[in-house]
Amino acid sequence: MAKAPLAGVRVADFTWVWAGPYCTLQLAHLGADVIRIESTSRPCITRVLPPWPDGKPGGLNRSGYFNQYNQGKRSVTLNLRHEAAREVARRLIAQSDVVTNNFAHGVMEKMGFGYEALKRIKPDIIMISLSGYGDTGPYRDYVAYGPAQIPLSGFSALTGYKGWPPMHTGFSYADPNAGVHGAFAILAALYHRAKTGQGQYIDMSQWECAMALLPEGILEYTFNNCEAERIGNSDPHMAPHGIYRCLDRPERIAGHVIDQFIALVCADDNDWRQLAHIMGQAELADDPRFATLQARKQNEDELDAIIGRWTANQHAHELAANLQRAGIAAAVVADNKYLAEEDEHLRLRDYFVYLDHPEVGVRQHAGIPWRMSRSDSRIRSAAPTIGQHTDEVLIELLGYTKEEVDQLRSSGALD
Amino acid sequence: MPGALSNLRIVELGEMVSAPYATKLMADLGAEVIKVERPLSGDKARLRGPFPGHSFHPEKSGLFLYLNTNKYGVTLDISRPEGMRLLERLVEQADVFVHNVWPPDMDRVGLNYERLHKVNPRLVMTSISPFGLSGPHRNWRAEELTIWSAGGVCVLNGAGPDHPELPPLKTFGSQAGFQGGVHAAVATMGGLIAQMRDGEGEHVDVSVQESLVSQLELTFEYWPYMGLIATRLGRKPIQPVESIRCKDGWIYVCCIEEHQWRGFVEVMGSPDWAREEIFADRVKRGENWEALKIFLEEYCSQQTVLDLYQKAQARRVPFAPVSTMGDLLNSEHLKARGFFVEISHPVAGTHIYPGAPVKYSATPWEIRLPAPTLGQHNAQIFGERLGVSSAQLRELARAGVI
Repeated sequence: MAKAPLAGVRVADFTWVWAGPYCTLQLAHLGADVIRIESTSRPCITRVLPPWPDGKPGGLNRSGYFNQYNQGKRSVTLNLRHEAAREVARRLIAQSDVVTNNFAHGVMEKMGFGYEALKRIKPDIIMISLSGYGDTGPYRDYVAYGPAQIPLSGFSALTGYKGWPPMHTGFSYADPNAGVHGAFAILAALYHRAKTGQGQYIDMSQWECAMALLPEGILEYTFNNCEAERIGNSDPHMAPHGIYRCLDRPERIAGHVIDQFIALVCADDNDWRQLAHIMGQAELADDPRFATLQARKQNEDELDAIIGRWTANQHAHELAANLQRAGIAAAVVADNKYLAEEDEHLRLRDYFVYLDHPEVGVRQHAGIPWRMSRSDSRIRSAAPTIGQHTDEVLIELLGYTKEEVDQLRSSGALD
Repeated sequence: MPGALSNLRIVELGEMVSAPYATKLMADLGAEVIKVERPLSGDKARLRGPFPGHSFHPEKSGLFLYLNTNKYGVTLDISRPEGMRLLERLVEQADVFVHNVWPPDMDRVGLNYERLHKVNPRLVMTSISPFGLSGPHRNWRAEELTIWSAGGVCVLNGAGPDHPELPPLKTFGSQAGFQGGVHAAVATMGGLIAQMRDGEGEHVDVSVQESLVSQLELTFEYWPYMGLIATRLGRKPIQPVESIRCKDGWIYVCCIEEHQWRGFVEVMGSPDWAREEIFADRVKRGENWEALKIFLEEYCSQQTVLDLYQKAQARRVPFAPVSTMGDLLNSEHLKARGFFVEISHPVAGTHIYPGAPVKYSATPWEIRLPAPTLGQHNAQIFGERLGVSSAQLRELARAGVI
């Protein structure tokens, strides 16, 4: 196998929470040496959020959230309020290709790590700021939290059951979306630098990255001066097109019944004819209420009710397989347990990662969504404990002596 | 200054969202992209709209026009041997080939890496498919809704504990397609950087399902770490974190930290009810959300969205408007940043589109060409680039190959 695509590329990673770590996770997948600059006095919030192993909270190294999005990275602790720690950071930047951060506007400048200062340390550095609102514009100092980026960017106004108020997306989707767009931007900048020797600064706004995903809604407005209606799970060009209730999970989880659903789509009349046949109600295919797409859209509530009655007493997993055998697009509406234990496809593709972590042992983690036939792209290690690589990085990479490191530590610069 | 990817040559055989978005990201940074569509009907995104005046026209579909900026457009039927040969000749001159042909269709027409690698050993070939090119679901059919569901995202969204009868809710638009596309763009750039170093290409297999499972926030790990299932039905442990109606629209009230709640209480004029013990901290406000909601709905119903948003932000409280599309287009902030761009298309006319997702200091993001009309560049690409004579082109067109 060839070397990793980013072998030899180093990232001084000042990001935290989710968007930034998701960005540098992609670079770690491709083999970059990503070094997170952390501090025990201000640990990444994902280190102190659940899920906790076996339900027992505590410590800075045990959260499943942090351990998912920081696989394959190293961690150094620096208390950047100390000048000696800022000097360590400068020496690290001098040996880095990329500097990432998602601090509030102006914070990097205040610490002496603005782009102009970084260029003096490393003239061809690539720097990215992942912020909620971007680096310019009247709202650049506004505070952005992950959940609020969904309504801000227009997702909520467009997402919802028919006739209902705006809804959320159920997770802070704008965060990983910004992260992966940021990773692409860094790779494009690395490519440009390899050709020309020129580094650059990348200004990324989560808000704008999210709107890049909403052309159908935005263009309905700019073409026709209309706000798109919320249409639930339906589609203007296909019916049936929905999510239908199946039998509940047989087991209870923490005392709760867990419901299960199937997503099912008939892309055209042939699919619909086939579905009606599988349902044992072949006559529905020629029923004037449902014979054409137009008729099915007009009578969609009735159509959905008929399908829902048919799916209600079936197991989602078996039903999806049966429908796929008949060539109908269907899938279990997968929850985390389904993905972790019941989706044999993901298991057989070796998607999940099982690496030993010093404090939580071997846990199942989500892996890399691509496979490369030649390059070495893989998750190289479990997420780091906080400061796990401080000595290694300072001594082996930055040339500090053991004594200097001890001195820095006793001064509090490495907290 | 040329774009960051200005010397790259890309061939795209893409339909709908995933592959076209991956190559749009690169085309907008200066890469040359030749988009291959099937003759006569073209990319299915041409059927999706939205359409100006709500009237269908295959050259006026908003989704297609957005996703295919800066691309040359040619038509080829690759199920015909002459069509496949022309594709091979295009790929011979390219650095990258990105496609999202459904795996059973790849098998049917003989589209595979071995074949293209022989033609061009430097080629980075990226295959985007719903479930990836291996495993028992390789040949499963998929649409946006089913893959968003299979990726574990859909189950997280819905009407919550008050309406358990309502099903999980799809997020608007073509999000599975977009995520497949942007993750594929990342992996493709990895392949290109390795190609630049080693002079060799490779095959990149991107699964849309895995692109979604990779971004489930903390929810996936609830199972391996705690044996808990994450569902849409859970109550929010802390409040207020909700959309609430104002006089002129909706605002997203977001008080995650205690200082944010204190800031909001100040904005509201420190009313007496806010001192009640049942609202003393974020967990209590979560437990007593039904009571709190009544007060907040009453307060917000007297406010305008923009005023409340700005007052909250002035106290570092991360509220946000529930933006309508009109709000986005009229946003002073987005105007100052120049996010939206105007693009003129010979058939669809001149309209405003979403612009650069990211701004680069040294290299431009720019629209050089509008999306191609179907087969617009056949003569230019097949004729001038590949040297196919105009008589041969007429014959290929007559035979339905182009």
